[in-house]
Amino acid sequence: MNNIKLTVSHAPFWHDGDSLFKMNLNIMIATLPAVIFGIIQFGAPAVGVLALSLSSAMIWELILNLISKKKLSIGDLDSAVIGLVFGMMLPAISPWWLVITGTFVAVVLGKMIFGGIGANPFNPALVGMAFLMLSWKVFFDFDAAYVNYEFNFTALAPLAALKFQGVSEIAGLFPTGDLLMGKQVGAIGSTFGLGLIIGGIYLILKGYVRWEIPVSFIAGIIVTALCFSMANPDTYAGPGIHLFSGYTLFGAFFLATENSSSPVNRIPMLLYGFFAAVMIILMRNIGVYEDGTVLAILLLNVVNPLIDTIRPKVLGKGVNNA
Amino acid sequence: MIKRSFFTLAKPRLNYDLVEPDPKELESIPIPSNLILLLNESIDGTKQALVKEGNTVEKGEKLRLYNESTEYTISPVTGTIATIDTFSDDFGNNATYLVIKNDQSQTTKANSTTYDLKDDIASADEYLRALPGAPPLKTLANDDIKIHTIVITCADTDLLSTTHQYVASKFLEEIKQGTQILKKITRVPKLCITVPENLNIPGGFDSIQVFKTALEYPSNLPAMILKDHLNMVLPAGKTPEDLGICFITAEAVVSLARAYKTKSAGFEKILTVIDKQGTQHRVKATIGTPLRRIFNTFSIHVNDQDRIVIGGPMKGFATYTHHHPVQPDMDTVMIQDRDIIPQLSDNPCINCGKCIRICPVNVPVNILVRYLEADQYEEAADKYDLESCIECGLCAYVCTARIPLYQYIRLGKHELFNLRALETANE
Repeated sequence: MNNIKLTVSHAPFWHDGDSLFKMNLNIMIATLPAVIFGIIQFGAPAVGVLALSLSSAMIWELILNLISKKKLSIGDLDSAVIGLVFGMMLPAISPWWLVITGTFVAVVLGKMIFGGIGANPFNPALVGMAFLMLSWKVFFDFDAAYVNYEFNFTALAPLAALKFQGVSEIAGLFPTGDLLMGKQVGAIGSTFGLGLIIGGIYLILKGYVRWEIPVSFIAGIIVTALCFSMANPDTYAGPGIHLFSGYTLFGAFFLATENSSSPVNRIPMLLYGFFAAVMIILMRNIGVYEDGTVLAILLLNVVNPLIDTIRPKVLGKGVNNA
Repeated sequence: MIKRSFFTLAKPRLNYDLVEPDPKELESIPIPSNLILLLNESIDGTKQALVKEGNTVEKGEKLRLYNESTEYTISPVTGTIATIDTFSDDFGNNATYLVIKNDQSQTTKANSTTYDLKDDIASADEYLRALPGAPPLKTLANDDIKIHTIVITCADTDLLSTTHQYVASKFLEEIKQGTQILKKITRVPKLCITVPENLNIPGGFDSIQVFKTALEYPSNLPAMILKDHLNMVLPAGKTPEDLGICFITAEAVVSLARAYKTKSAGFEKILTVIDKQGTQHRVKATIGTPLRRIFNTFSIHVNDQDRIVIGGPMKGFATYTHHHPVQPDMDTVMIQDRDIIPQLSDNPCINCGKCIRICPVNVPVNILVRYLEADQYEEAADKYDLESCIECGLCAYVCTARIPLYQYIRLGKHELFNLRALETANE
């Protein structure tokens, strides 16, 4: 008998062809409109921050892989996405050590010590951001950051202006159209609202972002901001400025939707997105932070395992004799 | 292979293949010189064997290993037994295979052994279990299982396969006769038949209730037929037989009709063979024919690291040898070239939720797999619905992390079964 060595494995024998690499590559592609706009707006320093952030995140994972003697896992691009998303949240003039410290916290403390991809309870990029924001608050003052830049629009960070000057003072300074088109001061990747929306829709259509989270997130922003604004229009701004400034849209499409730290069932997804947005507006309107996106999403990451237990009944459960 | 489309907001649709409107005649594979028969019983050296190497067998002779054996097979040829050995399946269950050397001249000359078939299920079970299509006579003859509905399947359960549909469109009369026989011998009050909704069968099925099944996978799986057409929910961990529903393939019904007509068994199994290019060939091969013979007929070259899939791309199994014989329940054989075999991984679950969206019965696969990876089978069953899985394989098909989810689930069920058996034994 001439014996051929066949491949023996188990069903199913087909696969839809998707992989972690493809998923992460698509997320990176989806960030491109916002990233390119950020680079055009903020120039070479933005390129430097993004490149350093992306590469240092991958190198941290590589180092951890080598230390823990595990299979090298940077090929799945997961830490590249963390690095990119992290870099997009930084001001363009961030010093190199800030970026590297941030990616260390994001990749090592946010992801690798929990066991790597899929095991992180929080969005790693947000862990890094929260760490930096609490430690070196001064670098996240966007007004101070771009002091040497010349812009052809109001060079004030909208949310900071809103917080410290009040609604009446900033009236007319930030037309929604300008905010949407990126005519605002902010982090490298979070200013170009339209680009973020395009990227987000791309990911939703590709099936890599579950539509429930961004939709309920945006709904949460609009509903909560509207409630505040209707209750006291002199103190609280309407939904427009909340939605199109700060990290809001970036959070809706790229932060809150991080797979491992967000729910997967429909009702939990809607709750998660909505309440993350509610928390953001509460922090902005009542809390001490100008932009609560980072902390609000981290907070909802904590709630995620609990709310994700709300799930549809399984067929055949609890039926003992039909 | 069906790939992910560019936009995948909606879950992917996998549709069943339909048999072509006027199917060609079957390609007949000549009876080979050596046939391999499988017996679902392991060899026990302490018992006095009934079959020995060198024994001669008649066409249609019933072969059992031992006197008290309940399992049997029927020899499709006249010849001598060349080898008896152990065969293991992928879960390590042992069976026995017999290689029968075909005496060509005797086989063609001889008529098949005739049986004393009466109009009761016991006599059918006595001789006809190994008919093409593998009629579930053992279940039907078992007094402990009360079957009240028989579902005849003309809709193939797995993707790509069109064997049942072919039988339905070609042998309608015999299905009707077989149904009458089935009714008479089993005395089961209700018989139904499943037909794909887009398949037009001229003439129809007279008085039998027809279930038009949807085109989308997995609507032809037993649990889905129960849910969609019989308004029954299959409880977790139960089989349709536990609820009194028995599934029988259209081919088995045709075989029964022929067997009762001639009082002897038929041996020609209808198969859909899918080559590396995806072309379908429909063949008629004697049970026991090694698959290699069929591949040779169609000049399909099987190379190292290719994969031979028996039973369809979603629910089938891969065999480790191209000598694997044609069996009574083998409807589809598919060859995959080594280059198109998708790679699996040992990545952990990333919680992307694709499995949750595609699961037809809402099993929380993302949590379940974490328990299964940690060998926590009891918890997996109690809290995360391991036993509710209807084994369609869709979760593993879409898994971004390429985790062998379906295999984890099957292993989990298998281990759970063993655990429970151990517990019962200890009580």
